[in-house]
Amino acid sequence: MTIPQSQQIGNVKHLVAVKNLKVHFQVTDRIVRAVDGVDFHVNPAECVGIVGESGSGKSTLVRAVSRLMPNLRVKELSGDVQFEGRDVLKMSEGDLRELRRSRGFSMIFQDPLGYLNPTHRVGRQIAEALSPHGNVQSDSQRVQSLLEEAGFQEPNNVARSFPHELSGGMRQRVMIAIALARDPKLLFADEPTTALDSTVQLQVLQTLYRLHKERNMAVVIITHDLGVVAELCDRVYVMQTGKVVETADSVDLFERPKHTYSARLVELSAHRSSFRGAQYE
Amino acid sequence: MNEPILSLKGVSQIYTKRSAKGWRRVPVRAVDGVDLDIREGETLAIVGESGSGKSTLAKLLLMLNRPTQGQIAYRGLELDKLNHEWRSQYRRQVQAVFQDPSSSLNPRMTVEETLRHVANRHSLVTKLNQRDFLAAQLAAVGLNPPEQYFSRYPHQLSGGQQQRIAIARAIMLRPRVIIADEPLSSLDVSVQAQILQLMSDLRATTNVGFVIISHDLGAMQSIADRSAVMYRGRVVEIGDAIYQSPAHPYTRLLLDARLLPNPRGTRVRSPPPKQAAPFASVETTQGCRFLHRCPHAIEICAAIDPQLRPLGLGATQVACHRAEELSAATTPV
Repeated sequence: MTIPQSQQIGNVKHLVAVKNLKVHFQVTDRIVRAVDGVDFHVNPAECVGIVGESGSGKSTLVRAVSRLMPNLRVKELSGDVQFEGRDVLKMSEGDLRELRRSRGFSMIFQDPLGYLNPTHRVGRQIAEALSPHGNVQSDSQRVQSLLEEAGFQEPNNVARSFPHELSGGMRQRVMIAIALARDPKLLFADEPTTALDSTVQLQVLQTLYRLHKERNMAVVIITHDLGVVAELCDRVYVMQTGKVVETADSVDLFERPKHTYSARLVELSAHRSSFRGAQYE
Repeated sequence: MNEPILSLKGVSQIYTKRSAKGWRRVPVRAVDGVDLDIREGETLAIVGESGSGKSTLAKLLLMLNRPTQGQIAYRGLELDKLNHEWRSQYRRQVQAVFQDPSSSLNPRMTVEETLRHVANRHSLVTKLNQRDFLAAQLAAVGLNPPEQYFSRYPHQLSGGQQQRIAIARAIMLRPRVIIADEPLSSLDVSVQAQILQLMSDLRATTNVGFVIISHDLGAMQSIADRSAVMYRGRVVEIGDAIYQSPAHPYTRLLLDARLLPNPRGTRVRSPPPKQAAPFASVETTQGCRFLHRCPHAIEICAAIDPQLRPLGLGATQVACHRAEELSAATTPV
């Protein structure tokens, strides 16, 4: 794809480069600075974590970058967001759709049931993601292989199921299959395992990691669980009240946290597992 | 301290649901023959995956549901047979804290109204001293200065503050046991730590016991005296050292699924090869309920349902035929 010179700014080496992003909301009589001057980048085939407490702006950041931000009540949305050198914030809806369809980015969410259509079978919903007029018959091979890739043993049975017939972990895998349909270079995962049991969480994270490696797909994972970061991510951003307070390699973050807030997060997660470190074997 | 305040004998709660394809009614054994003693002043954690019956057990303990089978006794008195006075006392002495504080507080009542409602209902204090009393309750759960919170509505409070109000409402009746159903799971990690701290402080000052239902083994390890692991309606292991020396394969599975805050960890990156469960495809109604997921199953597991029994000399009880050999096989090298 050729990139118009006028849109080509900054470092093209990064898959995503964000400079001084601000997202402010108007909430009744005051302005909430949900994201307040964030610099952020993702390299190709990298796994990046964003951690922070609820309200720290981590979801808003990712939604602004992926242009999933409702215009409603947004007071200010400024800054520079580039995907492969193209300015995402200034893109037209048509270009944006084109970007999403042509190996751009996909997203999965915490609550898969809220994003699946309860009245359609899963196979049809994946086929829809494959092509605009996709139907299960003509795309059944690809639907099946996507479901297999997302870790299902019996893809045919799953394709015929409705979302409510599946468990939470299976629904999240369906979401992953849909997200993979257009072969994205970048997957945003917003708290993908928070609603899942720990045993299922581990399986879903293993699936994500396998896909990240097999497809050379960059993954941005939002979480409040430092365990997820430790096990999965190469690099991590720590957010607090709309700002990035620390960015580090995940090994560095755990072994040499610089910011007091990160240090506290690391300490807490270590404390919670103070006896865990010593394995029982 | 060691006197059981609540004891469950063969308690089952059976719901019926429609079968997946058709109109047949099928029983769902949400809680299936649980024997459990809850001692005065202890913190008992109940852990397990979703669907294992933890929350149903909480509802039974709170007298929100009546067990289909079995008996729950409070200080030796069966709950079914309590007279009016005793039942009222039970309702005071066994209090609840729920998962989502914003939905367990009335959105149209201020903090003061919420607390005063309970105080009046149980005639805890005279009108004259009421405000001081309520202020003391808020201070006890770490909301200082208390006056600042009186006129607030739940939506004006953070999740952690809401949960503190819910705890204040429970603790003001001077209960002997607080049943907390997933009290941490809607809170941030740092707030979770504060609430855990508050619980252990309250325990130290008032000797109240806690039954905490959670799926977070890490948090439970830091606070619980004893922990019970539930799987498909049964307690499969109970003891005070299940995190250090798990005896049941399911406990081990849960512990292995935890993510460690260690960036050099390998659970996700290079998972160990899966041990196949030898009986994975066999659908049986008899035998151990963990059979289809258990990598260590043998013939006896498919034939006989293991009952909870003491393991060795410790306080641990486990429902597994092979607990001894399995724990012997993985003792410290």
